[in-house]
Formats: sequence, C-alpha cells, structure tokens
Amino acid sequence: MRPFNAASILAPREATLETLGEAAPARNRVRFLAIGVFAVLLLLAGRAVQLAFSGDPLAEPRRNAGIAVTPRADIVDRNGVLLATTVRAYALTAAPSRVWNPPETAEALARMFPELDRAATIRRLNDTSRQLVYLRRSLTEEERANVHALGLAGIGFEAEDRRIYPQGQMAAHTLGFTDVDLNPLAGVERGLDRQIRAAGAVGRPVRLSIDVRMQYALEIELDVAARAARASNAAAILLDARTGETLALTSWPRFDPNDAGAASDDARRDRVAGDVHELGSTIKPFTVAMALQEQVTTAREFFDLSQAFDIDGSVIEDHEPIRGLASLRDILARSSNIGAARLALRLGAVRQRAYLERLGLTQATRLELGFNEAPLAPHARGRRDVAGLGFGYGLAATPATLAAAYTVFANQGALVAPTLIARAPDAEIERRQVFAPEVTRQVLAYMRAAVVDGTGRAADVPGLAIAGKTGTAEKLGEESVYVESRNFSSFAGVFPAHDPRYVIVVALDDTGEGAAGGMVAAPVVARTLRRIAPMLGLRVEPSAPAR
Amino acid sequence: MDKTLLRRGAYAVAALIIVALVIGLYKAKTDAARTEAHVRQLQHQIDESEADLRALRAEIAAQESPARIEALAEDHLGVTVGSEGAALPESALKQRLPPPRTPGPAE
Repeated sequence: MRPFNAASILAPREATLETLGEAAPARNRVRFLAIGVFAVLLLLAGRAVQLAFSGDPLAEPRRNAGIAVTPRADIVDRNGVLLATTVRAYALTAAPSRVWNPPETAEALARMFPELDRAATIRRLNDTSRQLVYLRRSLTEEERANVHALGLAGIGFEAEDRRIYPQGQMAAHTLGFTDVDLNPLAGVERGLDRQIRAAGAVGRPVRLSIDVRMQYALEIELDVAARAARASNAAAILLDARTGETLALTSWPRFDPNDAGAASDDARRDRVAGDVHELGSTIKPFTVAMALQEQVTTAREFFDLSQAFDIDGSVIEDHEPIRGLASLRDILARSSNIGAARLALRLGAVRQRAYLERLGLTQATRLELGFNEAPLAPHARGRRDVAGLGFGYGLAATPATLAAAYTVFANQGALVAPTLIARAPDAEIERRQVFAPEVTRQVLAYMRAAVVDGTGRAADVPGLAIAGKTGTAEKLGEESVYVESRNFSSFAGVFPAHDPRYVIVVALDDTGEGAAGGMVAAPVVARTLRRIAPMLGLRVEPSAPAR
Repeated sequence: MDKTLLRRGAYAVAALIIVALVIGLYKAKTDAARTEAHVRQLQHQIDESEADLRALRAEIAAQESPARIEALAEDHLGVTVGSEGAALPESALKQRLPPPRTPGPAE
C-alpha cells in the first residue's frame, strides 16, 4: 500500500504545454455552463418575484363575481315577472355510525315529516355499512332550523338547489316542473331545458312570451266556467297572431308545481298541447275559406239547407235547421253542418287535405313544451269523411293547433307558428300564406256575424269587436258511438275584428247535454277579454251596472 | 482579479440567488394560499348572498302575484278586478270618493 501523501495531492501541479492546451476548451465549456445556469436562475428568480408581488397573470380567469351562476336559469314572463327560480335547499342526511338511538331519531323525524316512513328510516339509520344516508330532500331553511333544534346526533344537512315557482298554480302546466335533482319533467322546463341550462351558466333569465296578468285572468275565468259546467277538463290559449307569441295558456284542473308529486296525473296533464279532440264547428271557417279560395262558391250564392243531407246512408242534420235560403254568412253564423258538408264535398278530398296540411292541422304544433300531441288526421276515405271533416269530425287536434291555424284570420291569410319565447321587436317572423287576404277578410265578416247574431253571442264584448266561431263536438261513447250527453264545447276567435291581431281559443271537455260552445266557452272569452283588453291597449265599453 | 476569487464570488451570488428563490417561492406560495382562502371565503359569501337574493326575489314575486293582489283588493277595497262592479257609473263613483276638501285661507 502506498502511504497517503496529502501534500502531493494539494500541491499545484505544474502545467505543461500539453495540459494547458487541453484545459482551455474545458474551461470554456464550464464558463458556458455557468452562464447558462445563471440565466436559468435569474429567470426563476424573476418569476418568483413576479408571483410574490403581482399574482399569476397566466392563471385562468375566475368567473365574473357579478354573475350568479345557477344550474338552471330563472324563468320570467314577458315583463320580467319571476315565474321559476332556483333557491338554496338542504338534504337531510344521517351518518348511521354516529346515530345514538335510531328508533327515537326516526320517531322525532317522523313527527316533523309525517310522510317519512318510520320503519324505512330506522332501517337506514341502522345501516352502518354506509357512511352517509339521505333521509329527505329539498328541506327549506326553516325546516332545517327545526331539525337542527332537535339536536339529534348523527343527523346533518347537505346544501343543494331546489326549483321553486313563486306564482304557485299559475301557469303550472306551461312551466312544468323538475325532480329533486333539477332534471326537467314537464312544460318549458323540459321543452327549453338546453336553453335554461345555458342561460343559467351565464346568469341570465329565460324570458317567456306569456304575461302573468293575462295568464291569471284566463286561468280564473276558465276555472270558474269549468266548475260551473262540470267539465272533466278544460284548456285555453291566447296568442298574438302577428308574432306568434303565446300571451297566456292554461289547462284545467290546475296543480301546484311546487308540490307536483301531490297532484294527480290528470291534474298535471297539459290540455293545451297535450290533448287532442275532434274540434267540431270551429273548423267551419276554414271550410268556407277553402271554398272561397278555390272558387267553388261565392259570397252571393244561396243554399237550401232546410232538408237533412243524406250521404251514402249517413244523415247530416243541423241542430237548428235554417228555413229558406242561406248564404255563407248564415252557414257560419248559424253553424250549419249541412252547409259546411256541401262546401266540403265541392272541394273534394285532395284539395281539402292540402289545405288542412297547410293550416298545420295535421302536424303537431311546436310549442316549447315538453310534449306536443300530434293531431289524429287520417285521410278521408269517402264522401262521408270529406263531409264530416267540413264540419269538424274525423280530425282531432289540440287547442294549440287550432289557435295556430286561426292566425290566418289575423294575418291576411298567412299562418304564423306559435311560440312561448318572447320575441325581440325586430325579430323576423316566418309567415306561410294559406288564403288570399280578401278571402280571410270575407270569412272574418262571417265570423263577426256569428258573434253579433249567431251562436257566439255570449262572446261579444261591447266596444271590442270579436269575430269567432263556436264548436260543440259530440264525443265518442263506450261503443264508439257519438253521444249527445258528452260534448267538447269550444270557442275560437280573433279580435279586434276590424284589425285582428289576437287569437283566443277556449275549450271545455265532457260538458253535458245542451252545454254548447256558445253557452259555456263563449262567455269565458267575453269575461276574459273584458279583463285583459286594457292590458292589450284595447278599449272596452263598461258593462251596465247590475240593477 | 484572481480567478479563484472570481469563482468564489460567482458561487456566492449563485447561493444568494438560490436563497432569494427559496424565500420568494415560499412567500409566493404563502400569499397565494392566503389569497385563495380569501377568494374562497368571498365566493362563499357571494353565493350565500345570491341564494338569499334569489329567495327574496321569489318571495317578492309571490307577494306581488295577481292572485294575492286581487284577494287583497277584494278584502280591503271591496272591488273585484274586471267584475261588473268594477265598472261603476259616474253617480256611484261620487259615493266612493272622499268628500271634497274646502280650501283653507292659506291655500
């Protein structure tokens, strides 16, 4: 072993020419490396100072604190009145391992929430295999405070969102409702789900076309009439025919969307766009318009409608036969089935079908609700079917579909599709011409006659010229035979007649014998319009006070 | 200057930079964490305020609903909106209005 000689290691070696020549490039490399390390260190130091004093400019921008982001946007009416919103709620939870006495805890909770199944709650509280169990959802702040006051061990709360409808029953079928997880189940909540979520993400509301004041008036009047007529259900819709905006629409019976689970399926059912019925005589204005448009008749023609009309063994009669000669005006004003059947037969099946399709009476209306029922509109298979279609049998559609078709009388023959979304003032409106303007003008005069001195007199409002048509369709009984004791009674009209802009349809289902559209539906129109006319900027002459 | 001294000086500067880096990073992380906590707290306050605001707006909408207004009008004023009784003849209006005030000498 060589002895350790520190001096030999520490003593500077003598540089030879050869070693100097090799060391020069190595020193340069070390210098470059040192400069590189310094540069990196300087960069890092600069960045550290920047982070320390000015924050991270590359960090993702936070959401604007001024925007209230919600999973579902508020829904407001055309004037900004709140119809649906999302509020803070609480889920009642339990940590089974921390619950002292499950039976006593369940008993205390059941006293506060009677709908809680005591046995099921005890079972959940005993399930120690789970860390957390949910006992009830959507507790209000007050309910939470009440439970908290009980001081139950192991019972807690989780914040969650809850959908509420401040107007209660109003517009319930239109708004629809969600489940506890805010998944949409019906109404615009479902029909506009994507828009509602998107609007919620940017903190702005979804604005509907309805007006709560008109909505309330229509709902109350329909409610009173449906109860009085002992109808099984009813529907009504009011449109601005120029823009297609739905100002009000309601179904009866009503329900509270804040407690939708407590309502029956029947109450929750939307009747405006979800139920189809044979429409009856409200179809007749279209039959007359088709006949005038196709020039198979003229305003100067007179018909002998005094005798029953036999078509291939089926006898068509008028409820009140017209004695003497009748004009087109009489056919509409006095709702003649025979007259409408004759006009329909002159048109023929092909032309009649083409018009029904162009009027949208054979396709589902595309209102932004969760569900739009498609009409039952089979092709006519013979003269009897064509005649029946002429006065409203053999075609079943929703009140919304009928209202949409009636827009032709307010748009000089052009059809405008209805919508539930508020349109911008300068929005482009899609119109589809169905009839010539002079044709709808002529039919409008006949419909006005139906209200002035025909079957729709009860719809008349002094000072507000309403033009319309009543409808009373017998319903099919158990043996597929039409029965007189069950009617679908309706009124469809436009106003003001001299410059029509609005369409209203009111329909009551399962009204009894003799409860014609002119008796039960037309008065609803008059009472509603008396209330809402000032809201539309229309003048109504006050009724004479009751003596 | 002696190269060794120069090298040592460079090492010292590098060491200082590293120390500065460590302190800077520590401060940055501490400040960031503190700021983050503050932001979370503010965000929570905003969310709570927004939730309260939404609940209040819902309450206002319920209080101003046409059904409630109509019920109040009927209970307190005795009028039913849009009813036959709402359209009063001129003679009946006089009975509803308070009697005209006699102007005082100062008026």
